[in-house]
Amino acid sequence: MTTAVERPPLVRSSDRMIAGVCSGLADHLGWPVKYVRLGMVLACFAGGAGLAFYAWLWTMVPTADESARRNARRPASPIAPAVSFPPATESVPRAPDAGPAPPVVGSPAVSGNPSAPDGTGGFGPPFGSPPISSPLLGSSASARTTTGSPAAPAGGWAESGSTALAVSRFNLRRIPYGKEILLGAGLLLVAVILIVRQFGVDVPLGTLIPAAAILGGAAIAWMQLDETRRAGLVDKTKADQAGGWVRLAAGLALVVAGVLVMVSGSGSWEQTWLALLASVAVLGGVALVLLPWGLKFWKDLETERAGRVRETERAEIAAHLHDSVLQTLALIQRRAGSEQDVVRLARAQERELRSWLFTDAAKDAGLLAERIKAVAAEVEDAHGQAVEVVTVGDADMTDRHEALVQAAREAMLNAARHGGGTVSVYMESTAGSTEVFIKDRGPGFDLESVPDDRLGVKESIIGRMKRHGGTATINSSKDGTEVRLALPSINADGSDTRTGDVPSGEVRNGEPRQ
Amino acid sequence: MNNSSHSGEPRSVRVVIVDDHTIFRSGLKADLDHRMDVVGEAGTVEEAIAVIAETRPEVVLLDVHLPGGLGGGGREVIAGSAALLGTTSFLALSVSDAAEDVVAVIRAGARGYVTKTISGAGISDAVIRVADGDAVFSPRLAGFVLDAFGTAPADIADDELDRLSARELEVMRLIARGYSYKEVAKELFISIKTVETHVSAVLRKLQLSSRHELTKWAAERRLL
Repeated sequence: MTTAVERPPLVRSSDRMIAGVCSGLADHLGWPVKYVRLGMVLACFAGGAGLAFYAWLWTMVPTADESARRNARRPASPIAPAVSFPPATESVPRAPDAGPAPPVVGSPAVSGNPSAPDGTGGFGPPFGSPPISSPLLGSSASARTTTGSPAAPAGGWAESGSTALAVSRFNLRRIPYGKEILLGAGLLLVAVILIVRQFGVDVPLGTLIPAAAILGGAAIAWMQLDETRRAGLVDKTKADQAGGWVRLAAGLALVVAGVLVMVSGSGSWEQTWLALLASVAVLGGVALVLLPWGLKFWKDLETERAGRVRETERAEIAAHLHDSVLQTLALIQRRAGSEQDVVRLARAQERELRSWLFTDAAKDAGLLAERIKAVAAEVEDAHGQAVEVVTVGDADMTDRHEALVQAAREAMLNAARHGGGTVSVYMESTAGSTEVFIKDRGPGFDLESVPDDRLGVKESIIGRMKRHGGTATINSSKDGTEVRLALPSINADGSDTRTGDVPSGEVRNGEPRQ
Repeated sequence: MNNSSHSGEPRSVRVVIVDDHTIFRSGLKADLDHRMDVVGEAGTVEEAIAVIAETRPEVVLLDVHLPGGLGGGGREVIAGSAALLGTTSFLALSVSDAAEDVVAVIRAGARGYVTKTISGAGISDAVIRVADGDAVFSPRLAGFVLDAFGTAPADIADDELDRLSARELEVMRLIARGYSYKEVAKELFISIKTVETHVSAVLRKLQLSSRHELTKWAAERRLL
């Protein structure tokens, strides 16, 4: 068991003869598949032990896919660590104190497995994460007589088997592999009882088995409740799962069977049937009476829950509107005299609300398009001039792209300052290059006539783009001005493919028009 | 105003305004110039379908978000008036320029899309354009088209519906850059009519294409 630290988790392999149990087991134990399969076949002749063991593993061991899915889901439920994969070493020291267990929870066939000679260590950590559901009682029957393995070292556990169930319920949540350990302990207990019987000691099986069935059934049913509660008692998706119902039914059947056997021991079968009929009738009557009430209660609960969700949503929206829209409206009323202020405020508010309502979750923040939009918003706030941004494609931000953004910002500032009317910004990013166009409808200006000491256009736009390997061209006419910034990708190949992409008009467009 | 290519004689375009905000409706009515005649108004999906069927307008100014019906808003109105699509054109109008609104309503059959912040002259021009059977593309819509169809021009081998031709791409780029149709025509040395032809072709592709990227693009934004 202590050597099991680095073993791969036990999952059913996709390299399968029947269900992938043997190859999975072989992977897990580090043995050749051949021997595992041979051992399994041989064990089948030992009273069907191999068969039972195989069936049990088939049910209990998840496939690799299932296992991965379960593990992936785990972090979402921080309070469900019971069946996780902690380092195996952690579970080793705890194993001994997990004695208390409901007997007969699972198949005792395991202890008879020839391929796991050290029976004590066989069932602890290795069984990665078996589903909690229905440990097949039926499969045990055939294997019971073969339990002559050295798997009965702890005779003293028998008396602890009756320890209150509640205690072990609490342990379940804290001890890693708690369920597996409980299962193992239960199986051990069965093995002990069987061996003791072989030696001729009289064990009152007549009462033990029904009692065990009741305890097991209750345990299964309560596990269900525990799981449901974990997911928040009323989580419907959980309750609707077929597994939950199967578990409940199995638990119920076990308990009923156990009670029946116990009761029938004291009287004749006829009496038992009568009593059964009577109890079913009583139960039915009670259900009939309580059903409407229960349904109503459930409905109320649902309504209240839906109401609460709506209320939360409403509160969130109200809070947001208060923080943004109402504040802005108040501000607008106070500044009603200044048209520019009102426009600016309305525009900023619109932008904010828009981004809150329509934020494209598919797009990552922190990319070039977001930066361009942020800069445009800044300019819009500063000058009260609408800046419409359209982006196609996106790119990661680099220093060069930051320079592009700064140049674009400068161009937007110029456009907002001198252009008048809406400023149009178009950013297109392809594999080969990134282009930004800033267009306004102002009176335009002559680039040649701009004095050299004016840093705005010459330095902040053209110079900056040149320094970072890009280009900036400015077209200005009486109908408006358009600044075109282009930044080729850093690898030369990219710019080559780009030329193939560019429609011819684009190139011509880059030249001044005057 | 760049309606020089349209018919010179004065005529009146019959318009129905569909919007659930009365104030906006009256404001819009005031904004439309003399070339338009508002023959009906509606505030819900059912009202809209009824009014459109009754008045048979040339253009419906249609808000994307409308109460009533099955919750489909403007899309549902277009679907409900499908029989009239040959004679009645829809121009979608919305405060939102979220991709799902724009593309959904265009694919339903609208001839164009403008945001409600558009100027009075702008909306009048757009209505005339749509009445003449052309398409109205805002820069934002052009951006969506470029995003959805990709920015590489079509090969001859490609399905005609699935990609934009080099010329169509140029036109879309210029519109996305804020050019008016007239400016696009001047820039590319083509007539406005040609620009309109290109834009209508793009609109048709946007409406009919089942191109993989377009569906993927739309699915990512939960449009389909």
